[in-house]
Amino acid sequence: MLSALLWIPLLGALIIALWPSPLSSTRVRVGALVTLAITLGWTLYLVGQFDVHNPEFQFSEYWPWLQSLGLSYRLGLDGLSLPLVCVNSGLGLVAVYSSADTVHRPRLYYSLLLIISSAVAGAFLAQNLLLFFLFYELELIPLYLLIAIWGGAQRGYAATKFLIYTALSGVLILSAFLGLVWLSGAASFDYSSTLAQGLPLAQQVLLLGALLVGFGIKVPLFPFHTWLPDAHVEASTPVSVLLAGVLLKLGTYGLVRFCLGLFPTAWLALAPWLAGWAVVSVLYGSLAAIAQTDMKKMVAYSSVGHMGYILLACAAASPLSVIGTVFQMVSHGLISALMFLLVGVVYKKTGTRDLTILRGLLSPERGLPLIGSLMVLGAMASAGIPGMVGFISEFFVFRGSFVVFAPQTLLCMIGSGLTAVYFLLLVNRAFFGRLTITAEPPEPPIDPMLPEVSWRDRVPALALVALIIAFGLQPGWLTRWIEASSFQFVEPPQITAVAPPALLTDPPTPPRR
Amino acid sequence: MKKARINPQITTYVDRLLQGKTLLPESPENLIEVVGVLASYGIVLDAYSKNLIFIADQQFLVLFPIFKYFNGEINPSKILRYFWHDRINYEYAEYCMRTMLWHGGGGLDTYLDSDVFLTRCRAAIAAKVRGNLLMRSLNRLFPDFLPEQVRQLAYYSALGQFWRIMSDMFNDLADKYDQGKIQSIGQVVEHIKAGLVADAATPITYAVNIDGQRYELIPDSAGLTFLPDTAIPYVETIFFRGTPFFGTVSYNAQAQQISPDQSRFDYGALYADPIPIGGAGIPPTMLMQDMRHYVPDYLHQLYQQTPRGEADIRVQLCQSFQKSMFCVTNAALNGLLPFPKETDNPEEQTANRKFLSEWVERLMDSRLDVVQIV
Repeated sequence: MLSALLWIPLLGALIIALWPSPLSSTRVRVGALVTLAITLGWTLYLVGQFDVHNPEFQFSEYWPWLQSLGLSYRLGLDGLSLPLVCVNSGLGLVAVYSSADTVHRPRLYYSLLLIISSAVAGAFLAQNLLLFFLFYELELIPLYLLIAIWGGAQRGYAATKFLIYTALSGVLILSAFLGLVWLSGAASFDYSSTLAQGLPLAQQVLLLGALLVGFGIKVPLFPFHTWLPDAHVEASTPVSVLLAGVLLKLGTYGLVRFCLGLFPTAWLALAPWLAGWAVVSVLYGSLAAIAQTDMKKMVAYSSVGHMGYILLACAAASPLSVIGTVFQMVSHGLISALMFLLVGVVYKKTGTRDLTILRGLLSPERGLPLIGSLMVLGAMASAGIPGMVGFISEFFVFRGSFVVFAPQTLLCMIGSGLTAVYFLLLVNRAFFGRLTITAEPPEPPIDPMLPEVSWRDRVPALALVALIIAFGLQPGWLTRWIEASSFQFVEPPQITAVAPPALLTDPPTPPRR
Repeated sequence: MKKARINPQITTYVDRLLQGKTLLPESPENLIEVVGVLASYGIVLDAYSKNLIFIADQQFLVLFPIFKYFNGEINPSKILRYFWHDRINYEYAEYCMRTMLWHGGGGLDTYLDSDVFLTRCRAAIAAKVRGNLLMRSLNRLFPDFLPEQVRQLAYYSALGQFWRIMSDMFNDLADKYDQGKIQSIGQVVEHIKAGLVADAATPITYAVNIDGQRYELIPDSAGLTFLPDTAIPYVETIFFRGTPFFGTVSYNAQAQQISPDQSRFDYGALYADPIPIGGAGIPPTMLMQDMRHYVPDYLHQLYQQTPRGEADIRVQLCQSFQKSMFCVTNAALNGLLPFPKETDNPEEQTANRKFLSEWVERLMDSRLDVVQIV
């Protein structure tokens, strides 16, 4: 069943790429849309079949691929990967839907998008370390090409930088996996939370360190983040949506699944340092975002900050904070995708993302009032305003982490305040005031006119907003899938220390006096 | 003593006016915009005018005139349409009336402050409050309140009468355009000027009937006429001064953003920014909202050719309206020139030039430079 999530988009990519007769861009786009709609439909079917009370991997599939190497085709779905698979399917569809009709070399473009969807799904489902690595690397080349071919003016530089950083990330992850299996003497690379149990702490710390840097590049965390703003600025809007919404989550997923999941003892030893790292990343990302004048760079740096919350919650490793990590991944996926979509529309209509130039885009009739309103809503969601998914995820993260790392959590909460600062700066600069799209006010003051925004540009953003509000008002619709599996990553003593009774499957009976 | 230097732009515009050219450049698009928007404005003004006169005549000292916008026709379907907001925004007409009342100027303002008016006014009030204990008590407690209300009602009537004439003038312009008799901006200006001059001496009067008795509040003998007592104060108030509130921009009086001298206000129609910035209930927007229902086909076609089509029709109407108001201002200036512009007398030429320079100087901060972009 799970294989379908990999093979449907891959098959779609192959059909589009190898179709014998010429295909118009619109037809290719429709083909890709249908493929991803089927994938999303299948994902939702799996959601319906998923047993929320079972913390183990479900719908498991196994095929001994290269037994001599320890590589097997082992897939499984649990509460950690299920929401991310859904986000991947959903945002893949959004990315294709929001792609321009006139994209050049459409067959290659849409094939690459479909391959990414397939590879990311594979990475989230893989229960073999080598298989995960293969999928992790498989998304690298399509994304490189998407930036290098369909990117902006500095696309070559940005794509190469992305390639080098992410390739290094892959090397470190592979080294850690190889080291783990060889040192532990395991017969295969199959995922097991007990793989590192017999290793001395020093070896565990060394392997965990390699994984942390590897996934830290992908997340990205300070100081490995520098590829991200460049990649976002040069990437087209659909690619930015995928990059921020889905691909960064491979890094955070890796932190939970492989760092916390495989090395709980070493993780516990390093946790205070990791929490400190999270603080630096959050504050650096937020302060850097404040300094930006490019809307896309601002959103990109906000990602650096918000990914820091995940590291903090991961470091705390309490039941609530682990739920917070998954919630924050979904929340960030939806919100950042929304923000990049909206910035994309602004760029498409005004030809610039420069905050020193844009003014008054909320202007009714001539400006982008709905896009501006959605941007205000996205900024509110990102800043953690109640009623939206951002509030719930940050509440889980901070509430779950505070009992373990109080000072670090408080410092990270400053980052949440800073989110309001930079997004309000963005909204205030670009959306309020008189409509202007020139650096110097023209003399005489001409009345600018922006092209009308079509419903095609609005629909994906509205869909994301609906989800952001729905999960903000009903977080239980998301936590119910995560809850059981998240306890697998928590050390038993900490469960009773920090988890609120409502979140435990079997709340402890209070002692009678 | 060193002579103050005149802005060369002022000289250019004054020269242009003295040569018989127009403030608004000649172009086929400008002609369509101006005539089209005045055609729809004429229809809207007709409605405004009827309602203002209805309120002045039929809602005289009605303290809670909740049906004042119904023109006496009150039925469930009209009430439903009212709440659905499928109606003319008569509030805009009242906004203009109050702005005129506030800025004053002209013979009407002087007359309403005279003892003659007060005597007539008190007689009408006495008749109105007779048998009405509440009104009588109110009048005793606040003796200036009801006279001030009557002054306002006099402005309702005066503006209604002014717009009656202007509405007919604009409708006539639209008819002439349809007949092919108007083919340039110059002809538009000339048509308006001719209308202003023709009706210059039309009397402005106001009387109400109370219990079968007629009370003349502004009698013929007051000598108030269309051009000096309503048209000129209207142009001064609505085109030039306006009000710093009710607009789309928030001005900060404490920060000296508003001139303490009311006569130096420049928030009028000729200065208004057509790009809305998200305010609600903006009077000019209400006018554009009303006009959009009556836009002639040729103007629709012109708007449809713009990049946003008719999605921003209210902004486009505002831009066109502003152009048309420059034509009206142009016509008024031509009509008010102290001497014929063709005069050979140097003293008369100087007087004309001085007259125009003073007005054009006030237009330097208006959107005159923007409408020059054809």
